[in-house]
Amino acid sequence: MSETVPFITLLLVTIGLSASTIFTRTCFLVAGNRIRLSHTAEVALRYAPVCTLAAIIAPDVLLQGPGGSLDLSSLNPRLVGAAAAAVFLCFSRHIVGCMLVGMVAYSVARLYL
Amino acid sequence: MGVDAQHRQLVSGLARERRAAFRAGTRAIMPSIPGSAAWSVIAGVAMLKGGLPAGWAIAWAFSVYAASAQLAVLPLMIAGAPLWVLVATGFITNLRFVIYSAALRPYFAHLPLRRRLALGFFMTDFTFLMFMRNSQDKLLPEKHVDSYFAGMCAVNYITWQVFFIVGVVAGSYVPTEWGMEFTGTLALIALVGPALNARPAVVGFIVASLVALITHALPFKLGIFCGAMAGIVAATLADRWRLPPAQEGMS
Repeated sequence: MSETVPFITLLLVTIGLSASTIFTRTCFLVAGNRIRLSHTAEVALRYAPVCTLAAIIAPDVLLQGPGGSLDLSSLNPRLVGAAAAAVFLCFSRHIVGCMLVGMVAYSVARLYL
Repeated sequence: MGVDAQHRQLVSGLARERRAAFRAGTRAIMPSIPGSAAWSVIAGVAMLKGGLPAGWAIAWAFSVYAASAQLAVLPLMIAGAPLWVLVATGFITNLRFVIYSAALRPYFAHLPLRRRLALGFFMTDFTFLMFMRNSQDKLLPEKHVDSYFAGMCAVNYITWQVFFIVGVVAGSYVPTEWGMEFTGTLALIALVGPALNARPAVVGFIVASLVALITHALPFKLGIFCGAMAGIVAATLADRWRLPPAQEGMS
């Protein structure tokens, strides 16, 4: 966390991410009649974002410390915050509300548990 | 002389129609603006507190313009993952736009290449979903649908940038002890939640989480990939299995 990311990495990541935005958003608009998606490919594409985000969220919330040991206890503030956010999402789709609730639960757990 | 005047009238009439369609688009996106403004403030705070320098955070907002990809990639970059993992992670997170661009194609296929590229770049979840909903509700203008979409995108883009910068500035005043970097994770949770409305998505979510946890010790953050790939395969299989083969052809 403390070490800074080199300039060249930042620059290349910026270019790479911009390219991925442009490619994914325009590929069918530009080359629509030359590519066709099979049903399976379309299904896989539809679920790809959820799966990627899950693979990022789960370790972030459940693993603790530099060694990354599993922490499923109710004392894990990130788990408490994520659980509160998830419960909120069962009742509302409001992104901002979800983040507020998660942040409050996380802070309370971190400071008082 | 007469022909010239007629031509001029025709051209100005066309421009007027285009402007009217553009304005209709700006009005159509308005209902989503309070939500997207608040969301971009928080994204700005999360990006800054996640460790991205302010200038780069703003550069990403303008040029990458994909909040979920940005939020997904940032913690990996701070953790020192290699470049190709970062770009690939952003790419997979952006894959839903491939489907969006396929859905938009019938509306814009006749336009010149540059126009299609621009409309594609400025397309986001918000603008796409509102556009498709208005299309279903027969609310699109009869002509110049591209100007209508451009109006939606322009308002959305400007709102996003302005409030993102507000978030970055606000974030610089928030002490690190508040743990605001966790807002990044919460934002991803808020994005995933509504997507879990179908069983295959839930299957994919669970499998991806478990595999990512099991493989997290792999170098270069490759656990993210193993998790994502396992989840995608599981979700695709679950989707297959849900539909009897006979119905599949009809759907």
